[in-house]
Amino acid sequence: MGTPIRRGVEAGLIGGLVLVYLAMVGMITKFDELVLIGTQVTLGLVLLALPPLGAALAAARPRVVGGRVDRLGPLEGLTAGVTAGAITGGVIAAWLVVVDRIGIDRVRSVFIAVSPALVDVLTFGRGIAGGVAILIVGGSALGALGGAWRSLRFGLRRPVAIGVGVVLLMGMLQRIVPTILDELNIERDWLYSKVTRGLTWMGATIVFVVAAATAAFWIDRRERTAAARAEPGRADTRGIARTVGLVAIVAAAIVLPHLAGSIVSEILGTVGVYVLLALGLNVVTGYGGMLHLGISAFFLIGAYASALLTGANLVTAFGLVAPRFSANLNFYVALVVVVIIGAIVGALLAAPVLRLRGDYLAIVTLAFASIAVILATSNWLQPITGGPQGLRDVTDAPLFGISFQDPQNFYYLVLFFCSIAVYISWRLAWSRTGRAWNAMREDEQVADAMGVNTSRYKLLGFAIGGAMAAVGGALFSVKVGTVQPGSFEILVSITVLAVVILGGLGSVPGVVVGALVLLGLPGLLSQLEEYRLLIYGGALVAIMILRPQGLIPNVRRSRELQEEERTQDAWQEIFAQKEQAAAEQADAATAAATLEEGS
Amino acid sequence: MTRRKGLALVALFGALTLVTAACANDEGGGGETGTTGTGGTGAGGCEADQFGCVEVGSGEPITIGTLLAIEGDVAFLGLDSQYGVELAVDYLDGAFDGTPGQIAGHDVTLVNENDGCSAEGGQAGATKLAADAQMVAVIGTSCSSSALGVADQILAEKGILLVSPSNTNPNLTAEGVTTGFYARTAHNDKIQGAIVADFAIQELGAKTAATINDESPYADALAAVFRAGFEAQGGSITTFEAIQSTDTDFKPLLTSIAEQSPDVLYFPDFNPACALISKQAADIPGLKDTALIGSDGCADPSFTETAGAAADGNYISQPDTSAFTQGDFYQSEFLPAYQDLVGDSPTAAFHAHAFDAMNIVADAIEAVAIDNDDGSISIPRTALKDALLATSGYEGITGTITCDPLGDCATDVTIGVYQVPAVPFDDPKATPVFSETKTLADVAA
Amino acid sequence: MAEVGGAARGRALGRLERLPIRRIVLIALSAGVLGAVVYGSYKTLTLPEGQAYSASAWRDFIVLGVAQGAVYALIALGYTLVYGILRMINFAHGEVFMAGAFASFFFADAWKQSGFMDDQPWLSVALLVVIAMAVSVMVAVLLERVAYRPLRGAPRLIPLITAIGASLFLQNTFRGLFGSQTRGYPKPTGLEGTWTILGIPMQKVQVLVLVVAVVAMVALTLFVARTTTGRSMRAAAEDAEIASLMGINVDRVIVTTFVIGGMLAGVAGVLFALTFGNISYFMGFAPGITAFTAAVLGGIGSISGAAIGGLTIGILQSVGPALLLTGVDVPSPFQLKDVVTFLILILVLLFRPGGILGTGEAEKV
Repeated sequence: MGTPIRRGVEAGLIGGLVLVYLAMVGMITKFDELVLIGTQVTLGLVLLALPPLGAALAAARPRVVGGRVDRLGPLEGLTAGVTAGAITGGVIAAWLVVVDRIGIDRVRSVFIAVSPALVDVLTFGRGIAGGVAILIVGGSALGALGGAWRSLRFGLRRPVAIGVGVVLLMGMLQRIVPTILDELNIERDWLYSKVTRGLTWMGATIVFVVAAATAAFWIDRRERTAAARAEPGRADTRGIARTVGLVAIVAAAIVLPHLAGSIVSEILGTVGVYVLLALGLNVVTGYGGMLHLGISAFFLIGAYASALLTGANLVTAFGLVAPRFSANLNFYVALVVVVIIGAIVGALLAAPVLRLRGDYLAIVTLAFASIAVILATSNWLQPITGGPQGLRDVTDAPLFGISFQDPQNFYYLVLFFCSIAVYISWRLAWSRTGRAWNAMREDEQVADAMGVNTSRYKLLGFAIGGAMAAVGGALFSVKVGTVQPGSFEILVSITVLAVVILGGLGSVPGVVVGALVLLGLPGLLSQLEEYRLLIYGGALVAIMILRPQGLIPNVRRSRELQEEERTQDAWQEIFAQKEQAAAEQADAATAAATLEEGS
Repeated sequence: MTRRKGLALVALFGALTLVTAACANDEGGGGETGTTGTGGTGAGGCEADQFGCVEVGSGEPITIGTLLAIEGDVAFLGLDSQYGVELAVDYLDGAFDGTPGQIAGHDVTLVNENDGCSAEGGQAGATKLAADAQMVAVIGTSCSSSALGVADQILAEKGILLVSPSNTNPNLTAEGVTTGFYARTAHNDKIQGAIVADFAIQELGAKTAATINDESPYADALAAVFRAGFEAQGGSITTFEAIQSTDTDFKPLLTSIAEQSPDVLYFPDFNPACALISKQAADIPGLKDTALIGSDGCADPSFTETAGAAADGNYISQPDTSAFTQGDFYQSEFLPAYQDLVGDSPTAAFHAHAFDAMNIVADAIEAVAIDNDDGSISIPRTALKDALLATSGYEGITGTITCDPLGDCATDVTIGVYQVPAVPFDDPKATPVFSETKTLADVAA
Repeated sequence: MAEVGGAARGRALGRLERLPIRRIVLIALSAGVLGAVVYGSYKTLTLPEGQAYSASAWRDFIVLGVAQGAVYALIALGYTLVYGILRMINFAHGEVFMAGAFASFFFADAWKQSGFMDDQPWLSVALLVVIAMAVSVMVAVLLERVAYRPLRGAPRLIPLITAIGASLFLQNTFRGLFGSQTRGYPKPTGLEGTWTILGIPMQKVQVLVLVVAVVAMVALTLFVARTTTGRSMRAAAEDAEIASLMGINVDRVIVTTFVIGGMLAGVAGVLFALTFGNISYFMGFAPGITAFTAAVLGGIGSISGAAIGGLTIGILQSVGPALLLTGVDVPSPFQLKDVVTFLILILVLLFRPGGILGTGEAEKV
């Protein structure tokens, strides 16, 4: 029994520190303002419950010792989980007592987030002694759940997890779903409370049951089809299933704005613009392996070029005037010019740095991004760019009399260009050019020696990436109708980088999913806004360490990432991960193994 | 296997029953408010109204949005205004007691959105607010860039009134640019810039001036207005420079400005740049005789905290708090209530403007709301806008508020120039060394 | 591409194709930038009396540039050290610097109020430096342990991205912990005012920065050259694998590097805060980028390179805009100081890809 307890203590200490961190940066208090279910269950409470649960799960998870998988038995798992949960609760309780002893006002004069409101959340309004008891007991209870979780049957725990997840998601989307239901004229008072804006208990129960039942049904179906497929002589229907799935996704993408209303369309418009930027970066960084921190400059160039080419008004303190240089081109004609400008600037940026190694490229592209913003803001170029005030009345890109400034229409415009960019990216990946980039990324010297003209492919990569990002900029200027330098800060580059990394370097579907997660979710959840960058930063580190291939890995790329030379313990970690993945796959009912276990 | 499928089916069936039950349950309750809205006495007024009415059912709250910079680096500006709005809702019943008051017999619910202090932030926030059919009016935005051509248009398309406590950009209320559904209680930059120019020329007897603005539209516009006003009165501009708000070393820049030894250096920026300019200018011998003037963007406690003794003798232009017509109310009731709510002193200069903005909106709603027989009310949107823009002689904290048809409600503004250390953000009882009242008509010419 | 057929023919064609594009673009770009520099300086220096800068202004520009450059040099040392050993840009170094400054602020504030700071200016500054060093070292070591060590041996792009993530994470953690507002950093009254050195009045704090920078550089050079640890650091920088075969604990060497980098960042943090009198959670980012640029410009991996790079950037930022832009009627020249700096950086890298003190040709990845 020594091992489970030791594991529990280790995981619990880490869990406790995480919880103290979350409390001290103010996340718990901030998220406590968002009521998810009923009047008591807030996002802050969920955040409070996650560390003990996570610590217990981590403590009870199977691990590799000396090349052998070491699984804990149900009782050992429970012990480890309870210990982890109790320690997590104990750490935060101890912290609370220390804060109370020092005096909350004194602590607050340094750590601004340690407010009476935080203490109130942590003690559940029952005073320090009551709070300490609740934290430890609650932590242990959650720890027990986490420790026992793995002993539960997969067919039961997966639907429950999905059900809880969907309920929380629905709770978090309380600003969006009710408006959608209103727009569709569906009665929704049973689901969302008008007072707290969160889910009602009845609504939450219904959502949970529906989600869990659907998941159970789905898992069951998957097992059966898998079993059926394993039988000899049956036609493989996966191809058909995939086609049907693809058609369904396309159909959903087309009707979505009409189902979901203007808020979702607006957010999807932003996501679409970022998909274009991320696809551009993906060509340079994902395919070519060159770190490019200047994608925001191409975004800026695209936006300003399209605004000036189609004619916009320059904003001054004394009214609107025409910029010194502008044309009155049709948007779609201007777009062609914008693409060419983006490509040329991309190649020009790459040209002087071809000889430099990767890290220097990062600093030069970063410098380029900040130069672009400074020039757009500058008094020197103010007669053209409008300086800090920017340009407004940018064209709405009318086509057959349809204005694309409306979020629902803009969605289709951006969807169209995203589709083109996705197609180009996809074709490029499997073309000779794509293979050349691949070779270059793996080893530039070898590629060079094998006759790949690396300079040319570097230039090409930057040019294509620049052109895609510039299209994103042009569409952004149509969407907002106003172009200001503040929209193109370096932070945009870093956000786009996070999108590409999260999705998976070099993976086109990954880029789309990454943009949906990193821009869609914060768009829907305004409470996250304040901690968005914190989460982005943490995610970049965590993904690079735990899952460098991203959410949806590029097959070729992930192989490469895993075949890297590593030190001994790194290999062990990989083994552990693979073991775990294998265990999970087994769990995920890839055919007969689980079937037998179930019946 | 079979057992599990059975479980799934039972669960699915159970869920469906619950949903049906829930829907059936609520059809009765929800139906009532649904039918009465259209049949009320207000139907006539609503049909005539281009954008129709907002129907607020009996016992339901009136929804007011806020679209302010409540997150990020400029949160000090947006939150300050949001507290002003919250205090106004609290005071609707005539007392700062923590119990919110009512408008036309209905509670008020605030929906807060972030304007991000950017055009795209304004667009995202305004789209969310505009999608809410119950949205009557929005208090916002904090930053002019969020409103101009973005939030003002999105909300105006739905006939939702936008009233800003802190937009000062002249273009928002310019003829042919304003949407008609926009108003503001903040002073137009044209006034502040002109009054500072008057101060420099008339009070200080300055002949030459230099300006430094950061990359924000606010600073750019204010510096431009000041330069125009200063030159119009016979002064000459020696240098107009610009900085990045994240810069920290301004000494080379100040050295180059000192070469022309201007009489006045105007820097309408934000802190810490304001404070660093003030602090570093004290070390430049060539600027010994130059009067340094900051704007309301510099007016928060970190200015004097960072610049320290170097700031003594500098000037700050901002709304003249001593000229607030209800000065006593502001000092003895509003500020303590603010302190209670927030736990801190105001961080920006626009909480009072937000308080006034919310109040004139409330008055306009009272004026146009049509009472229906069942206790519900109908608020015709166009009529509401017309009522708000017709506001005249309202005694607010920031002065007497009279809106002009273009949306400027602070038509008659008193700007004070304070001399450090006697500044309102350090000493609420400070009095300005120069104070002037101008109307928009004065600066239009 | 022509390499499908004979590999040799392809290679020859490739070489032919490669040369002209790169050369032409390079020559055109450098000629353009050089021409602009010469023309701009000529126009500024021949401005008529009254519009031209006085001799004392030029002197001030240079002095201010040197003072600012010393701060950059001090921060740049941290980048250079880590780069020398790990061959990675520690993007989060700016945040390590910020962390030290932030931690010392609370003590500085308390001591200023209690009067201790004004009674004992030197002692209090020394203590502040110690506190800042301790916190910076802690953050730097934690950073290495959590974010960089698991990625040792991964493709070089990966730790670079982690570093950017860590930078963002640290910045926003400090924002969450201590708030987003800028705080005034107190200065002992003993450090107010100026000293006149060689007839040039200089801020006392700036003199302090210069002295500390020189001392830090000399100490660091001696440490790397003379001590056993320094020798193992050089060995690890040369070839980590062989160094470990020779019995050097590379992990420990790397931790030592981060400890020293953190100490330098802590000193720089306090000096930066004293010079500018304020701190905020994003104070590390802009100086960090500039200092990194300085390290690259001087030749990354080289200690004297950091010094030369820092001074060059400092002087470029204060003299550059005035010299190059005033004469050609660009309004608000100082707004464009970063543009000038970065253009010069690119120009230098074109001719000396390894930086001013680096080797002529940059090694390929």
